[in-house]
Amino acid sequence: MDDDDAIARSLAGDLSAYEALVTRYSALAHRTAAMLGAGDEADDVVQEAFVKAFRHLSSFRRDAPFRPWLLRIVANETHNLNRARGRRSDLTVRLGATAEAAAPDDPAGAAVATDRRARLLEAVRRLPERERQAVVCRYFLQLSEAETAQVLDWPLGTVKSRTHRGLARLREEVGGELA
Amino acid sequence: MSSPESFDDLEARLLDLGASLDVTGPPPADVAAAVRARLAAESTPKPVPEAAPETAPETVPEAAPETAPETAPETAPETAPETAPETVPEIVPGAARERRPARRGGRRRRWTVVVAVVLAVVAVTAATPQGRAAVAAILRYAGIELRLGETPQPVVTPTTLPGERHVEPSRLGSLVGFPVRTPAALGPPAAATVGDNGRVASMFWPGGIRLDQFDGTMAPFFFKQLGPPHPQDVPLGTTTAWWIGGSHPLGYIEREDGTSVPLRQAGPTLIWQSGAVGHRLEGAGTKERAAEIAASLR
Repeated sequence: MDDDDAIARSLAGDLSAYEALVTRYSALAHRTAAMLGAGDEADDVVQEAFVKAFRHLSSFRRDAPFRPWLLRIVANETHNLNRARGRRSDLTVRLGATAEAAAPDDPAGAAVATDRRARLLEAVRRLPERERQAVVCRYFLQLSEAETAQVLDWPLGTVKSRTHRGLARLREEVGGELA
Repeated sequence: MSSPESFDDLEARLLDLGASLDVTGPPPADVAAAVRARLAAESTPKPVPEAAPETAPETVPEAAPETAPETAPETAPETAPETAPETVPEIVPGAARERRPARRGGRRRRWTVVVAVVLAVVAVTAATPQGRAAVAAILRYAGIELRLGETPQPVVTPTTLPGERHVEPSRLGSLVGFPVRTPAALGPPAAATVGDNGRVASMFWPGGIRLDQFDGTMAPFFFKQLGPPHPQDVPLGTTTAWWIGGSHPLGYIEREDGTSVPLRQAGPTLIWQSGAVGHRLEGAGTKERAAEIAASLR
């Protein structure tokens, strides 16, 4: 059952089909909510987003991809949550342990890699909010420019320019390490 | 200044960083189950078996596409099947026993899955000349069963509700077993009928506007056969109404044995539930106007 089948069946009231769709996109939705600043409430945001997506499924254009449409709802929910809480959408994610796991024979090299990652993550965290959102969507969520534009509801040119400015700022911050 | 489109070391490091970030959500199956539980709680769409049930042509008129006979409230409805003695209303909850009629073998077997899930299932007897419109899903809402599938053939011979009879609009409330309300946006109805033993109250206004009110807490009274476009949700106060935008076959499900009786081809209709009462408003024209009328019920 591809997305389109699942959507058609969901529209016809088949909750099992929608459940399959939720299962498929749950991890990505969660990652998106967390990275756009939902923090500890990412679970709630994701659940709410899926419920809303179901309610508005009839407005989904069937010839368009489902992923950015759904993620836009997730991004909106995250935004609304943060606005309701009166807080910034901070990037609260943590570094995983992949570096060490990837290089068990080279603990020193792994530590350096982890350190470099930690500093880059700090630099991303310090970016102005919109530049950070652009960078997060493009590189952490690996969305295309067009998808990013849809998810954040910005014009494509704005995505390009904010990503560009964010990258430039990051180069200044951690530039020495790139040489 | 390097272009953001050219993949450089910083971008590679960002991708690598993103991949290393520890963002673990709850198990997807748990999220899906929680979402489903919430959706099931707020409306009542039910899954149906993969295969469209076979349908058998029953009391079905011949095909004549493109005709959509008008409801004719002016003419006294006087169909009175044996199952509907014209007596004062009974209280519906006691009356509506879910006695399942004997069904032909194959069809029944296919539906056992649904029966297990839904208390009050009515076997599908498609009201089409061919009797073969595949039903992909069934939604039960506000006492109406929506049978979604391929675009069905229209009903060409209108029939009235079982036992439907004209009554004084002012007496309507005393003849049915639930509170009857009138939309302020339309004013007092020009005509009124009571059908199926006081289980359905209908009001009529000039211009073909018809409002049916019925006990919405019980098993479905009406069925509607729908092809695309599928129903659209319309916010209505604290609840959600559904707008069925196209002309569609409307039928009635008899209390006594669950028989599906094709009634007529209905126009665009708004359906909703308020308290224990199901509503269907037909002939209002647009979705917006229908919602406006629905919101004005007093």
